[in-house]
Parts: sequence; C-alpha cells; structure tokens
Amino acid sequence: MKPEAVLEKLKPAPVITGHVRLGDLDDQLLTPVGEKPPLAWFIAFAMTSTATLIGMALIGYTIATGIGVWGNNIPVAWAFDIINFVFWVGIGHAGTLISAILLLFRARWRNGVSRFAEAMTIFAVICATLFPLIHVGRPWLAFWLGPYPNQRGIWPNFRSPLLWDVFAVNTYFLVSLLFWYIGLIPDIASMRDRAANKIRKFVYSALSLGWRGASRHWRHYEKAYLIIAGLATGLVLSVHSVVSFDFAVSLVPGWHMTIFPPYFVAGAIFAGFAMVVMAMVVVRRTMRLEHLITDYHLEVMNKVILACSCLMGYAYLLEGFTAWYSMNDYIHHTFLQYIFGTYWWAGWLTITCNILIPQLLWFKWFRTKYFGMIFVSLSVTVGMWFERFVIIVSSLHEDFLPSSWHIYMPTYVDYGILLGSFGLFFTLVLLFARVLPVIATTEMKMVLPGSQPHREGGSHE
Amino acid sequence: MNNREVFSVLGIFDSAQSLMRAIPEVKSGAAAKLEAYTPYPVHGLDEALGLRKSPIAGMVLVMAVIGSIAALGLEFWTSGVDYPQVTAGKPYFSWEAFVPIMFELTVLFAAFTAGLGMLLLLNRLPFFRHPMLAARSMPLITRDKFALAVEAGGKTIDVEEISALLRDSGAASVEVVESPPVHGLASPRFFFRVLIAIAIACCVAGYATYWAMKLFPKAIPMVHMLDQPRLGPQQGNTFFTDGSGMRMPVEGTVSRISIPYTVDEQEDPSAMGNPLPRTAPVLGRGRQLFNDYCSVCHGILGNGETTLTAAYEAKPTNLLSKNIAALTDGSMYHVIMKGKNSMPSYSADLSQDERWAVLHYVRVLQRALDAKDEDVSSAQKE
Repeated sequence: MKPEAVLEKLKPAPVITGHVRLGDLDDQLLTPVGEKPPLAWFIAFAMTSTATLIGMALIGYTIATGIGVWGNNIPVAWAFDIINFVFWVGIGHAGTLISAILLLFRARWRNGVSRFAEAMTIFAVICATLFPLIHVGRPWLAFWLGPYPNQRGIWPNFRSPLLWDVFAVNTYFLVSLLFWYIGLIPDIASMRDRAANKIRKFVYSALSLGWRGASRHWRHYEKAYLIIAGLATGLVLSVHSVVSFDFAVSLVPGWHMTIFPPYFVAGAIFAGFAMVVMAMVVVRRTMRLEHLITDYHLEVMNKVILACSCLMGYAYLLEGFTAWYSMNDYIHHTFLQYIFGTYWWAGWLTITCNILIPQLLWFKWFRTKYFGMIFVSLSVTVGMWFERFVIIVSSLHEDFLPSSWHIYMPTYVDYGILLGSFGLFFTLVLLFARVLPVIATTEMKMVLPGSQPHREGGSHE
Repeated sequence: MNNREVFSVLGIFDSAQSLMRAIPEVKSGAAAKLEAYTPYPVHGLDEALGLRKSPIAGMVLVMAVIGSIAALGLEFWTSGVDYPQVTAGKPYFSWEAFVPIMFELTVLFAAFTAGLGMLLLLNRLPFFRHPMLAARSMPLITRDKFALAVEAGGKTIDVEEISALLRDSGAASVEVVESPPVHGLASPRFFFRVLIAIAIACCVAGYATYWAMKLFPKAIPMVHMLDQPRLGPQQGNTFFTDGSGMRMPVEGTVSRISIPYTVDEQEDPSAMGNPLPRTAPVLGRGRQLFNDYCSVCHGILGNGETTLTAAYEAKPTNLLSKNIAALTDGSMYHVIMKGKNSMPSYSADLSQDERWAVLHYVRVLQRALDAKDEDVSSAQKE
C-alpha cells in the first residue's frame, strides 16, 4: 500500500454526514423541544414514571419503618444500596469522560454526544446519591456528614474513606452540573430567541442569563470551559478511586487490594459507555439524527467499550493472581467464594457479560449494527451490576467468623427501589429530551465544515 | 429617527469568513469600539479585534491554591486540634489521609472560580438590559449569522457613514441598535415585581407555617425514635394473665448490691461510718456523681449557688457551711436517703456505694475551702 493510501485510511471519518448548514442544526435540534411529544414518548414516560413511583413508595416505606425491611444484615451490612450507588456513579463517569477528557484530546466526534452524556452523568449521580441517603436510615439528619460547628462539639472523621466519598460525590455532582449548565447557556440563548410562547421565553431568558454571543464573552467562555474540562478530567479519575477506597482501605479479604482504584475507574467508564450507546441508539432513531450521530460515533464508542472490557479482564485475572500470591487463607477463601461459592452464578455471569460477550465487538458487524451493539451494551450493564454484587455480597457473606456466616437474600423492597432508580433515571432523561436540546448545537456549529475562517473545507484540526 | 440614543450600528454577515475579512477594513475606517456577535466561538476573532488574553487561568490558580490550603487547614484543625482523634495509631497531622478531600476541594474551588468567575465577574452576566438583546437581528445571531457592531460608547456617531462602511466591507444588512431598550420581560420593573412577589410569597409561607405549628402543635413532623413498640412502666398488657406489663422478680430473689435501709426518722443515723476507702478512684467516682446529680442545685463547688438559685428563687443548702461540715457522714447519708425540706430522696438514683462516694467528695470540697498546710505536697510547696 502506498503511504498516501495509508494516511487516507488513518484519517478519521467525518463527524457529520451529508450537507448541513448552521441554521439547519437549530431547526432540527431545537424545534422538537417544547412541541407536543409523539405517542411513543408518552408510553415510555408512563412506564418510567410508574417505576419511579413504585421506588418512591418503597423508599417512603423504608424510611417510615426502618431499613430492616431490606435484606441486608450483619455480616452483609452493605448490599443493594451500595451496589446501586457504585453502579450509578459508574454510569455517570462516561458522560464526564466524553465531555471533558475527549474535549482535551480534541476528539471532534465528542461534540455530537457530549450534551446527552453529560445530562446522563447528572441524572446518574442523582440516582446514586439517593442510596447512601436512604441507607443512613434517617435521611433528614444526613447533614451530620458535613463539617459544621455544632453544639455536640464533634467533627466528622476526615480519615474515613466514607467521608472522602461524601466530598467526592458532592464535588462531582456540583462540578458536572456547572459544566453542563455553562455548555448549555449559548443553546438556551438560541432557544430564547426562537421561543414564541411568552412563558417559555421568560424561562429561557432567565436561564440564558442574557447571553448575547459577544466576542468579549466567548473569549472568557472558551477558556473557562477548557479549564473546567481539565479539572473534571482529574475529578472523574478521583471520584471512582475514592469510591473504591470505601472497599480498598478496609481490611476485608477481597477488598483490600491496590488494584481497586484503576479497576473501578475502568469499570465505571465501561458501564457508562454501554449506557450511552444504548441511549444514543434510541435518540438517534427516534429523533432522526443519523447524520449528526453517525455510524462512526457508535463505532468509536463500541471500540472504547471493547478496550475497557479487556482492561476489566486484566483486572479480574489480577484479582485471582493477588489472591493466590497473598498466601492468605482468608483471601483464598473469598476468591473461591466468587467463582465456586453460594453466589457462583453471579461470579460467572459477571465474567461472561463483562469479558466474553464484549469480545464480539472485534467484529465490525457487532460494532455497527443496532442489534449487535444493543446486545453487548445490555450484557455489559447487567454484568457490571453483578460485578458490584460479587464484590460486595460474595466478599461479606462469609467473613472471618464462621458462626456469623449468612446467606444474603434481597427483599421485594430492595428490588423495588432498584427498579425505582432506573425509573427515575429514564424519567429525567425523557424530560430532558423535551425541554433542552439533546445535542450541543453550539458545539456542533463549531465543527461544521467551513465554520472556522482558517479552516475552509473542514479539515481535521 | 426618534430621540433615543444610538447604542451601536450592526453589520450582519453571512459567514465567519466574511466577518473576519471585514474587521480590518472597519477598524481602520471607524474610530470607535468594535464588538462581534457570533453564534459560536470563531477562532482568531480575539486577535482580529485586538482583545487581551483572558485572565481566568490566573484566577483559577489562585483559588485552587486557596481551596487546597483551606481543606488541609480544616481537616487538620478539626481532627487534630479541636476534636483530636487517633485513627489506626496515626499522628494527628496524618496528611496522607487528608489528600483525597484536599483534592476534591481544590477542584471544587477551581471549577467554580472558572465557571462563576467567567459568568459573573468577567462577563457581567446575568444582564438582561443590554441593548443588543432587543435588537431585531439577535435571533439571527444566535442562529447562523455573524454581526460586527460599531459601538457609540456614549458619544454620538455618524450612523449613515458607518452603515455605508459596513455595507462596503461586505455586510449583508445593517441595523441600528438603540439604547436603552423597552423590553417587557427584561425591564427592571418586571424584575422588581418578581422580587416583590417572591418576598410576599416568603412572608405568606412563613406566617402560614407559624400559625400551622401554633394551631396544630401535636403534628410532630419528625418523630426520630420516639415511636417505639415497647411497653412503658406501669403499662397494661394482655400478654400476661395478670394484665400487667411489669414482671415481679422470681420469689426468693435477693438484691446483690444494696441492703435494706432500716434507719427511720426516730433513730440517730450519725453513728454510721463511711465504709469506702478514700482513694483516687472513689473520689473520682464521687466527683462524677456529685456533678451529675447534686451540682444542679448545690452547685459545682457545693456552695449552693447555681443558675437555678436565681431562676427559681430557691435556696439550696450551702454544703461548705460550718454546720453542714460539722455533721457526721452518717447524718448526711440519711439526708440523701430520705431527703430534707425541698430535697427529694436520692435512694433510687444512687446505689449504696455511690452515696458514700459522693459523701467522700463533699468532704473534699469542704476541706478545699479550709485547706491545711499538710494538704499541699512538699513538691508543690517548692
């Protein structure tokens, strides 16, 4: 092959297919917002809000009665609530990765999916914070977690990973929200200028803060956006590391491992991308955005999933190696519990869903066809949930003292609240798709061919 | 044209390229401040307009350093100084454990400085009364058109000449923006009304809550752990045949910690001696119990002066007085058992040994007021 041909092959595919003008973007992305949604939306919304209400009712029952209505008890003191917490925080990480890290790497394909992924981050973190909040039993006293001067004369323990978690998750939520909102301001200004309805115009006016697109504003805006992206990059790596410290800093066999922080971060990005792929397929199909979220986008995201899957495989192998190499009976026992114990099926389900099935993505057919990628993404979502189940329940249910060994069984309340968290997440996603643009129109305008004066013809930067 | 002031003259361009080409021409032709309005950031526009670099990075750096120092200071002061805790045998200043929260607060401070500093401080937003927001071409600018504004900056400018200049340099159309705008939703009066409405709503909600709490005091919103499914003392219960919730001890049960107190009002209790030795643990226990039970009325020093004295006009006995000091331990023990004047019996609250320990401590308090030379050790004398 000639060098030119190789270079041609290495060139990234265009991030927008077909001929799109600046105004077309607004017409296509901002028009559906606020219009009467199609029937399918109402059906989906009815389903998700029902699930949310079931979850809320069971949370109300839990708070009124006490967390004894859940299945967890010593030694499995952490079960569904912490599994779900870690799972949802992980889902959020893909959004920050796409919006922040890929912005720093100047991956131009991110502009099409970043807004939606960021929104998913925020909704996922909302779902995640719900679980520790109800696990404290008396959520109206959750402010005790914060360091504030009080008449009891005591302070929270800053050497505890659980407190690090409070700070990490709250910082993550606030910074994600800020990043999302700042990215939204120019789009909201566009919506303001398109709105005919008086109330809608007022709301969008207030939210856009009077943005007028002045070059003196853009100059600060771009710099600040880049800085927050840089900070969020560090944050996304730190948050799941801190979540993994909840386990790794303890002395429980199976948890006390140095591989945990990178292993958790890779797993979070893995699960998050699977969720983004599933959501993007639905959005792309229902809102007819095939030319903005192209096959190239989906293929790239599937490649990320494949890479993360290989990282996870390495982490699982290393977990086994660490257990064997530790020469410690307790760690041996815990690791054997993962694959041959009471919950052996969960361990093998994890390995199948997270390591074996994603290997299908080596084939182009699975990377580009809806059926293939949805199948893999669903299996990754299930697998990552069960991975946390294995880490938490399989490690805890047979602890140091055989007399306290206990087979954990979740109750209907546990399942109902898990269902409710999925309902809440998708309800928020559906509402978001109706009130704000699902694609960052301003950022898409920046990457349209011919949009920048020095780069006529839209060559790669 | 009416008598309103001209804020700026806008030239509308169809593409970023034509805007960039027009800037040098307009800059040399008009001696006024230039501003461009674009739907997205156009690269190279800052240099073309001659704008300074954004100072945001420096602001963020300063706040990031402040954030990390503040986090370290908070963590060390709370868990090392104000409420010192030893965790896993580590020193108080175990900075390694403080790193995660330092990192998080650094990011939090830096990100909010970048975000809010950019919006509020550098860009002066929210600002709803800018003349541009009322311009007819604003919806075009946020959509797909590019505008170059020649701003009057308070002076009068020749609108005709500048319009011609903009047209010559490639503007598709020209708009004159006036100031100040008359803009329904963005007018100050409207926002003033909204503020007043919010204030009224707060007052109404506050009064409603106040009266609701006053009229329905039984509606306790948070019961915490008050609601407990257990029996209180003397509560009836159908579980046992006698209908009582309380159980009597098994017949023949003997108390192990106290002997029956047989001294009554007619007998002289002063002969009883204090059976406990005067050791440091006993005196420490006595002080604890005295502070918990007795000091409420008799005062921490035993001199009968507490806040209760003033509040209730009560006159608790001064335990340090001559006549009380002259009493024997046995007589004082009797007072604890049976009570005297307003003082109730403490026989149920203190066990036998505890009463005697308290009496030892009362003796210490009396002695402290009238210390002898030999009470001070030779080491302390020097």
